Amino acid sequence: MNQLNNGFTIFLSLLVEAMPFLLLGVLFSSLLLFFVDERKLVEKMPTNPLLGALVGSMIGFLFPVCECGNVPVARRFLMQGVPTPVAIGFLLAAPTINPIVIWATWTAFRDQPEIVVLRVVFSLAIATIIGFVFSFQKDLNPIVQPAIARYMKFNPPAQPETKRRGKRYQVQQEAPVSNLLQSGTYILGGKAGIPLRIDPSVVPPTLISTTSKPLGDKLRLVVDNSIQELRELGGVMILGSAIAAAIQVLAPRDLILSLGAGPISSILVMLILAVVVSICSTVDSFFALSFASTFSSGSLLAFLVFGPMIDIKSVGLMLSIFKPKTIFYLFAVAAQLTFLFTLFLNLHVF
Amino acid sequence: MTNKNPKSKILNLLLPWLDALAITAWGVLMLRYWQTNKLNLLIHPNFFGLVIVAGIGFIIIGLFKMQELWKRRRRDVTPNMQHISLFPPGWGSAFLLITVILGFIITPQVFASDKALQGGVTTDLLGSTRVKPQAFRVTVRPEERSLVDWVRTLNVYPEPDAYTGQKVKVQGFVIHPPDIGKEYLFLARFVLTCCAADAYPVGLPVKLQNNQERYSPDTWLEVEGQMVTESLGDKRKLTIAATSLKKIPQPENPYSY
Repeated sequence: MNQLNNGFTIFLSLLVEAMPFLLLGVLFSSLLLFFVDERKLVEKMPTNPLLGALVGSMIGFLFPVCECGNVPVARRFLMQGVPTPVAIGFLLAAPTINPIVIWATWTAFRDQPEIVVLRVVFSLAIATIIGFVFSFQKDLNPIVQPAIARYMKFNPPAQPETKRRGKRYQVQQEAPVSNLLQSGTYILGGKAGIPLRIDPSVVPPTLISTTSKPLGDKLRLVVDNSIQELRELGGVMILGSAIAAAIQVLAPRDLILSLGAGPISSILVMLILAVVVSICSTVDSFFALSFASTFSSGSLLAFLVFGPMIDIKSVGLMLSIFKPKTIFYLFAVAAQLTFLFTLFLNLHVF
Repeated sequence: MTNKNPKSKILNLLLPWLDALAITAWGVLMLRYWQTNKLNLLIHPNFFGLVIVAGIGFIIIGLFKMQELWKRRRRDVTPNMQHISLFPPGWGSAFLLITVILGFIITPQVFASDKALQGGVTTDLLGSTRVKPQAFRVTVRPEERSLVDWVRTLNVYPEPDAYTGQKVKVQGFVIHPPDIGKEYLFLARFVLTCCAADAYPVGLPVKLQNNQERYSPDTWLEVEGQMVTESLGDKRKLTIAATSLKKIPQPENPYSY
């Protein structure tokens, strides 16, 4: 009973800690939807995959959202037709590459500035590499959730004005749709599952050019959109926090700790811990600090780089964008790259 | 489910209200934790402002939505096109609402020795670099140091003999780790760095005189005595040789930061 109550306290504390960040992320993503002309945004994105992935990784600096908040933004990016490498780069790096997180890391590791610098460098490098890898997947249908693919099929991203290689990221368009009933042209909308025809001809004009609407209407749309995302992502976050709390209470932490001295095993343990303790990237540096005495510096970095990219909560959230297979690839590649980078440090630098 | 179905009609009317209610309730819960001083059992004071602002934000969004629903209660609102559902309709809000209700019913609990032992508190905990030295004041008199101050000081200068004979007066709760003898107890406090999810115990062993009671776990004590060096589990440890043990009520804010 006491264990249960401890678990519940941890669960609540994770939620109370994460809710403000979730709200920030959701508000930001809704504002992005209604106050930014996505056509301009898409135009500004570099079409070169490598450069795009790098730019995407850096966007997080402008918009401080942690891993609870960056998924809705990345999802919005993808749906607005932002090139895949940019969206993936943002998804992986935004939780780490932003002023708040860097400042928190600096606070925790003031005596080891190399940890702060390397955290930024590694996160950028890994996000860029993975974004670049994903740029070779031209057709998004096999990797994103069907609902997103369908949305993108019928709302192709705005054409960049510069025709130069702008077509490369266009989602493959089908022949013009007939007015007969099509399969896959309905989604269950947010309001109690009213089936809704996704067809450019019936899309309410509010969503076609929202930037020219009066402010009051925009505000209403922002609130509506925020509520929908809070409901969805909040629900997922609750499940994730519940799992994280359960693991914290049920798994003996000293077992995990007893593994952490060798250059390889310590990194592996820290990678696992990064997944198990789904702690917000704004505060995870303090958590990592607690292992500074028992774990190698490379493994601490592994925790700090890999943790924000993938944790239990964000896996749930990412399922709203990608198919499970895609998430597994993202997960595996990010883990491998983190492992290789930090192992090199453990063996040759520290 | 079609609009012809009366059941779905009712759902259509009810679900938006459920959303608005769940979000408002979360805002209220956050502010309630703040008002009832329970927030310090959950998160570090640095984040209080954030939680309060977010709570107000949730309430504003929820009320805004309710007002709008009330104004348009006879009209169908077109769903947002860009929205993708993970759950069947209503589930997300139901999760939010259930959690909020649990939050209102169940009081967050102050962690105690069982959590400390489960988190692997052993005498090895001493000297963990987890506690950062903060504003370091040499002028502070030893008997004015709190338990956490002692552990922090010990991190800066870990040689136990350096403190021998210094006076101690600290408060904390009792733990009986399995790896120390019957003539010792462990006095500990939880330190919070961000939220209760990463609370960790720090403390010092206390050496009891022959006739002193070995209080049961979780009892809050004020221990006075002086510092000695003892060998615990093959390690030389800074230990409090207790001259007096006094039972005290659990402090208003049991966590250190």
